[in-house]
Amino acid sequence: MHTRLILYIAYSLKASLRYQRCKAFFYDLLENPQSNLKSYFDIFMICLVISSISLLLYEVEHQTFKWAAIFERFVVTVFIIEYLLRGWVYSDIHSAIIKQHENSEYLGTPFRLHNVLGEILAEKFSYIFSPSAIIDLLAILPSYRPLRILRIFLVFRLLKLFRYSQSIQMFTGVLRNKRFELSMLAIFMGFLIFIASTAIYMFENEKMGGQINNLYDAFYWAVVTMSTVGYGDLTPVTQGGRLVTTALIISGLGLMAFFTSIMVAAFSEKMNEFQQDRVKASIEKLDNSTIVCGFGRVGQDIARQLQEDQQSFVIIDNNEQHIALAKHQGYIALFDDATQNSTLTQAGINQGAKAILCATGDDVANVYITLTSRYLNPDITIIARASHEDNVKKMHQAGASYTVQSYTIAGLLAAEYIGHPVAFEAINGILHGQQDVQMEVLNVHSGCFLDGKSIEQANFAQYKARLIGVASKNPVHARRRNRYKLRNQHFYFNPDSSFILYQGDILVLIGRHLGIEYLHDLIATSCLHKQQGKSL
Amino acid sequence: MSHSLIAVFGFNSMSFELITQLIAKQHTLIILDDDPAKINQALEKGLPAQLMDYRQDDDLIALGIGARVATLFCFLEMDSENVFLTLSARVLDKNLTIISVVNRPESAEKLLAAGATKIIDPFEICSNKAYQLLNKPSITWILDEVVFGRADLNMAEVNIPEHSSLDQSYASELYLNEKYNLFLIGVVDKELGDKLYFSLGEQDHKLDAGDILVVLGSNRDIRKFKKEIGVINDAI
Repeated sequence: MHTRLILYIAYSLKASLRYQRCKAFFYDLLENPQSNLKSYFDIFMICLVISSISLLLYEVEHQTFKWAAIFERFVVTVFIIEYLLRGWVYSDIHSAIIKQHENSEYLGTPFRLHNVLGEILAEKFSYIFSPSAIIDLLAILPSYRPLRILRIFLVFRLLKLFRYSQSIQMFTGVLRNKRFELSMLAIFMGFLIFIASTAIYMFENEKMGGQINNLYDAFYWAVVTMSTVGYGDLTPVTQGGRLVTTALIISGLGLMAFFTSIMVAAFSEKMNEFQQDRVKASIEKLDNSTIVCGFGRVGQDIARQLQEDQQSFVIIDNNEQHIALAKHQGYIALFDDATQNSTLTQAGINQGAKAILCATGDDVANVYITLTSRYLNPDITIIARASHEDNVKKMHQAGASYTVQSYTIAGLLAAEYIGHPVAFEAINGILHGQQDVQMEVLNVHSGCFLDGKSIEQANFAQYKARLIGVASKNPVHARRRNRYKLRNQHFYFNPDSSFILYQGDILVLIGRHLGIEYLHDLIATSCLHKQQGKSL
Repeated sequence: MSHSLIAVFGFNSMSFELITQLIAKQHTLIILDDDPAKINQALEKGLPAQLMDYRQDDDLIALGIGARVATLFCFLEMDSENVFLTLSARVLDKNLTIISVVNRPESAEKLLAAGATKIIDPFEICSNKAYQLLNKPSITWILDEVVFGRADLNMAEVNIPEHSSLDQSYASELYLNEKYNLFLIGVVDKELGDKLYFSLGEQDHKLDAGDILVVLGSNRDIRKFKKEIGVINDAI
């Protein structure tokens, strides 16, 4: 009977979306390192711990206030709730029950509740006995009145800070990695202290005229001397005692050097990893980013423009100097081979990236990166740089959305200069955004104020902008003059005033930044109004 | 323009594109390089080429710099070579149009100081293009067509000749888009200097002989317009 009830509860929990959502929320809040909620919660807890400890220190010398007791009670309540929630989030009881039940169904064996119970308890105990859970518990216990004696453990609250600060976690991580070296050192140190303290006790006891009265004194002296602190409160007087001291000081120096070198090595080993982790974490937060492969002349120039436009981007390069330069400029940079799937995945090709630029100077690498990127993400925009005309086709075959032929356009541009230098400069200025005048495309969205209007009615002149043409797929315009084929649509150059605009048409305008921006906003707001009107 | 000679120094993939364009526009040109292999390549393609060492002033004079060479393209591999050539040519002819490529941004100033009229940085052009493709892919197509004239859509400069019907008229009264199916991009009003004023309806310009109209349109319409206002119908 009990078993059936428990199974019923387990299955209904599994099916309950609200329960799952609730648990996911608390997981994000407490444990998920990627969630923003956790960072807010951590800051809140750090403040709580510090203020409760400050209050404790204040109470040492001052009278307690009534509100202090209330605050203490609040802090402890938060700690208890946190402790229990962590225990709850740690593992899923219902899935353990369901798994066991399904296993026994499959094997045809009877379902025994106590087996599952054992498993669940083992899992929960592993939480209870994890170091951080023990610290959490010790931070709570002293507040329980009968355990007032444990007040000293309130200091454990400070240890709770470990949980909430990444840099402290990093430090413990480093120590954990050097466990072997550190334990070797501890054993050696133990021996040394043991030998030194027995020797000094033998030479410097009261009977010999020394100051070491007991073994505890000897131990204290050995530690103080070995660490090269040497307070001088206990000093050797006998010949033998001085000899032991000399030997201990020398070995102490070696020991300290050994300890320092282990720590330094551990940190320098880990530092790269931490930096990479930090880069990864910052990439994960990016949205609508561009991946720039290759940080040579072209890559650098593109990065500068992206930075000026405040667009997010990630740089990948396998040249150490290039990466150092990128980091120096404060860009997010990955030192890795961009042709590898893992590198591109790490750069966020499937997460936040909208486009990838293959800007290395090597066509072979660019083709390979294009191919890899297209394989990883069929929808991403890929812009590939081609140094040789012959490779353009290969790049398109590999999946490039657009190619840029660096030498070809330079040659074309140079030829253009002959004949009309003024026009060339004008277009060049617009192209490079050097002037306030810009060429811009605006989409006619469904329901916006331009939809269904003729060009005469739209009157772009009032925005100090002029219409060069309209790009459209709409077959309605097919009979208009000045039609030029453009991929899967047509470009209508210099449309006459009776040309009627429809949704999906793309306007190509020339005008000042201010006017075009205004027109853009006008289109967007008129769309919104229409949508709101519909929904009402 | 077609009577004068264009000298292109350096034969490589970049200059090849330039040469193709220039030949298509019926300019007279000569390719010069100090590498016999490259000259042979050019000759094999049927292009006018000549082996020459750019370091010798006598050779440059013999080529016609200071006389019939009106434009010089420096497309040599190294920036230092281009600077040297620019410097030599500028001394020989003050009015020569010198267009040079630049590989490193810091060389740009040196080339300009040496006397280059215009410098072209292929890396910068490439990155600008890539950036534009990223942000405004549809604009790129139009600029491609317009700047590089792949479709029958071209940008042209029209000098207003003496005694033209346009002399003393106003830019706002031109109505080029209705009358000639042309898009007026801007006007260089010589009274106000050499600056191009974009035609955005902000200020009007009184046109005089010598002013330049920058227009966009099909070759046929541009030619028709030029004929009507009395410009000699030369190559566009």
